[in-house]
Amino acid sequence: MSALLKVERLSGGYEPVQIFKDVDLEVEHGACAGLFGPNGHGKTTLLRTISGLIDPWSGNILFDGVQLNTPGERRTRRSRNLNYDILVRRRMDPKKVARAGLIHVAQGSPLFPELTVAETLSIAPAAARGGGRPSDPELPFTLFPQLKERRQSKARFLSGGERQMLAIACGMLAAPRLLILDEPTLGLSPKLRLELADAVHAIRGAGVPIILVDQDVGFLRDLVDKLHVFDHGSISRVLPRADIPDHETLMADLFGKAH
Amino acid sequence: MDLPTLISILQSGLALGVLYALMAFGLAIVWTTLGIFNFAHGAFIAAGAYLAWQFGNAAAFGLGYWAGAVLAVAAMFVIGAVVQLLLVRPFERHRDIVLLTVITTLAGATIITNLLNVIWGPRMKQIEPALDGEIVFGLVHMRSQEAVMIAVVAVTLFALGWFLLRTPLGRSMRAVAQNREAAQLMGLDVRLLYALTFGLAAAVAGLAGVFIGSIRFMSPTMGDDPLQKALVVVILGGVARFTSSVYAAFAVGIIEAFSTYFVGLYWTPAVLFGLMILVLIVKPEGLFGRRQRSV
Repeated sequence: MSALLKVERLSGGYEPVQIFKDVDLEVEHGACAGLFGPNGHGKTTLLRTISGLIDPWSGNILFDGVQLNTPGERRTRRSRNLNYDILVRRRMDPKKVARAGLIHVAQGSPLFPELTVAETLSIAPAAARGGGRPSDPELPFTLFPQLKERRQSKARFLSGGERQMLAIACGMLAAPRLLILDEPTLGLSPKLRLELADAVHAIRGAGVPIILVDQDVGFLRDLVDKLHVFDHGSISRVLPRADIPDHETLMADLFGKAH
Repeated sequence: MDLPTLISILQSGLALGVLYALMAFGLAIVWTTLGIFNFAHGAFIAAGAYLAWQFGNAAAFGLGYWAGAVLAVAAMFVIGAVVQLLLVRPFERHRDIVLLTVITTLAGATIITNLLNVIWGPRMKQIEPALDGEIVFGLVHMRSQEAVMIAVVAVTLFALGWFLLRTPLGRSMRAVAQNREAAQLMGLDVRLLYALTFGLAAAVAGLAGVFIGSIRFMSPTMGDDPLQKALVVVILGGVARFTSSVYAAFAVGIIEAFSTYFVGLYWTPAVLFGLMILVLIVKPEGLFGRRQRSV
């Protein structure tokens, strides 16, 4: 059986700076892949490329056997300045990616500052399913009971944790076939981290395949089937669950024994 | 100043205010959603008026005032979307999009204005009003056409507010305006929403043109002055909410009416622009604004 997501020799970055090079990544059906690596090494850029926010420079992205990027040469600077669908096709279309069921919950997204929680949740499913009905409109509140009380609050009045909850809830309402969670616990208090970790466990328990980025190896070890160690713009190692070392060892491996 | 004068000043301010609210709506929604300033907005006003004249007036197709207005607004929606496709979308991902679209929309304005000139000629025209005569209510004497305009604009503004706040499409437009990337990740069709936003702005501008064409005279450059006023309105009000430019529109309308009476017609634009500069210095996010782009 072919993999759910197959990324082949993907390179990309922000013109003219290349951020990652020749990345191969596979996520099996029903699996949870962890992505771990130091800050600033390109994890988020890689994920933004996979979800189509930025065009890949080369390589392929296949989701459930369907190629998400338009194959071909990277455009020259001149033609990329133009944006005519008719004349010059974008190599990636984030709408197409999301509607295929590959849902990316971005890192620390401010979401829609002036939209209330209820309004945001109301457009989430329609957006990804091209107008389809959500399977369970109560899902956000079963995952995050706290959101229920904040229904009428605008996103800009939410705390960082609540906003993260809302972002994940939106992702789940889109009925994802693969959910990308980019550091869902970034910058949160220990109590909130636990709460969000529980939610991620619940989502995992429901059988949703996930690509999970986090800085907490312990958290990753509990959840993922494989851990991809990302450093200096490429995946340096893929560790099966049983071989994932503890945080200290992994950090020492990456940075040398500092302590 | 006696009471009847005061009433007639306020009345004229109200009539100006509703027009400015219509015009500022389109400018503001395009600015917040696409992040560009549309200099062709004034030409949209003129185009809407000429289309309504063509469809509605007895001298042309003669379908009547209302049919003419509806057809003109619908046509302006399509024209707006096409203008966005041709003049804005090619530069969507360019980092100098704001400056580039200043040039392209100015070019668009020139082209549309000259097309109007070629098709309908430079002679002043007027759309036959829906209603003739005057409404008298105590001390208030109002031309029926103005009363119709105020009523229709009030309904239109409420409908637009309802659309933006309550319908999935309106909410999606606001979402795209507030965070384009998050909207893309949710699978919203950002390009389609941009085209619809531009079309909606053009349609509302066209409606403003229909009213201006029926209470004043129309010429191919009739949109230039309203565009300036709408700019003042948007800057004065800020774009924090849909309603902030509506409030500012009425404020500008009333100020303009008073200034025309006391300062005179010729100095009124100077008064308004002076006020605008003052607001830019003291409260750059607008009188009703927050330091943030959104609808």
